[in-house]
Amino acid sequence: MTAAKISTTALPTALPTAMPNNESMLFIKRLTKSFGERQLFAINNLSLRPGTLYVLTGDNGSGKTTLLRILAGLEPADTLDMTFAGTSTTAVYPPEWRQHIIHVHQHPYLFQSNVEANVAYGLIMRKVPAATRDVLVSEAIHWAGLDARRGVPPKRLSGGERQRLALARAKVLEPKLLLVDEPTANLDRHARPQIVLLLQNMVAAQRTVVVACHDREIIDLPGVVRLDLTDGALTTA
Amino acid sequence: MELWAATQEALRMLFTGDPELWGVVWISLKVSGMALLIATPVAVLSGFVLATVSFPGRRAVVVILQSFLSFPTVVVGLVLYVLLARSGPLGELGLLYTQTAMILGQAIIAFPVLAAFTLASVQGADRIVHETAVSLGASPSRAALTTLFEVRFAVMAGLFNGFGRVISEVGCAMMVGGNIAGSTRNIPTAISLETAKGEFSQGIALGIVLIVMALVINGAFHTLQGEGQLK
Repeated sequence: MTAAKISTTALPTALPTAMPNNESMLFIKRLTKSFGERQLFAINNLSLRPGTLYVLTGDNGSGKTTLLRILAGLEPADTLDMTFAGTSTTAVYPPEWRQHIIHVHQHPYLFQSNVEANVAYGLIMRKVPAATRDVLVSEAIHWAGLDARRGVPPKRLSGGERQRLALARAKVLEPKLLLVDEPTANLDRHARPQIVLLLQNMVAAQRTVVVACHDREIIDLPGVVRLDLTDGALTTA
Repeated sequence: MELWAATQEALRMLFTGDPELWGVVWISLKVSGMALLIATPVAVLSGFVLATVSFPGRRAVVVILQSFLSFPTVVVGLVLYVLLARSGPLGELGLLYTQTAMILGQAIIAFPVLAAFTLASVQGADRIVHETAVSLGASPSRAALTTLFEVRFAVMAGLFNGFGRVISEVGCAMMVGGNIAGSTRNIPTAISLETAKGEFSQGIALGIVLIVMALVINGAFHTLQGEGQLK
């Protein structure tokens, strides 16, 4: 069972999974975050593997969003001792990790251009040549089922389409670790399965996907590893 | 009725291409256009830096900038006059009563408008714009450029606002330009002079030009904004 790969503050550090192994995409030896006097969480010995969908659950205010933001390098941690794809840090988040770790916000900001330009943005930042870029952008747009919306400005997209565009914009960069915050929270019944399918697609492509959510449709998926963040400790449920 | 006759005469002047009248319009456009060309890059950069970089005294700079929004243009003219007057510190440049002096004055007047609009729009842009860019691999400076691009319509609104302020200001243009026919006489100073002389038709004609200009510019802006502003 995948849960055996994960140990947290609630588990003794002597578990075999306490050490980073070849299978591990990301290994957190220790990560803590406080706001003022209050410690939000302290995470020890968490290992995330490729090709796995992790669902991060926990009450509102438990720190799910903050944890994802720290892992994405958008917010500093108080203690950060972690290894990602073979490189380690014991203090500062290495900026180059951002090339392989993509964060998708709960309400994704879409650039005021069109679908195509949004998907192309990350590739342009990575200086991917135009010819290759066009092919990759087309593939990602097709992947997200947005072929007919290519030239459409984001403001004309539905909630589901916006979320799919945000995922396509991340997917095109082939991230090793994809962090998605509440992707289905604001979507109707029809739009949700499409998002779930895209996330499963990413997992099938051997990506590590961490989704913060309360959505049973995602939590109950086969093969999902549930990480529960409660009272500052991360446990596998 | 005198006003009706003056309006008819104004329309005649406009449609027959009265060279003196259109010369005044041209000077106005040229001076204000040049002023914005000079002020915009500096002002947008200043507004952006004020919105994104914290440094000691930043708050004071913001307060001063915002007070300059309502600074009387005639005072800008007065200060510039003292500096440029023959006996003033910059008197040797011989700029008083030239278009250059008017351009300088209008650039100073437009600066706080442009900078304050940029400041407000960049501050108003959600932090998420910057974070999204960074998360997708942009360097901090590139992410800053992306943020500025995302608020481009608000910055442009500032540009048109600044244009509106300088094209219609009379105080500074009168003081440092001197209202010299064919050289420094622009729309506001011409209206002021002609009206004082009791010659209403040219004033009315120039007033019509100003109003039409405002309509055209705003229309162009809304077309340009297009999808960008639809919510």
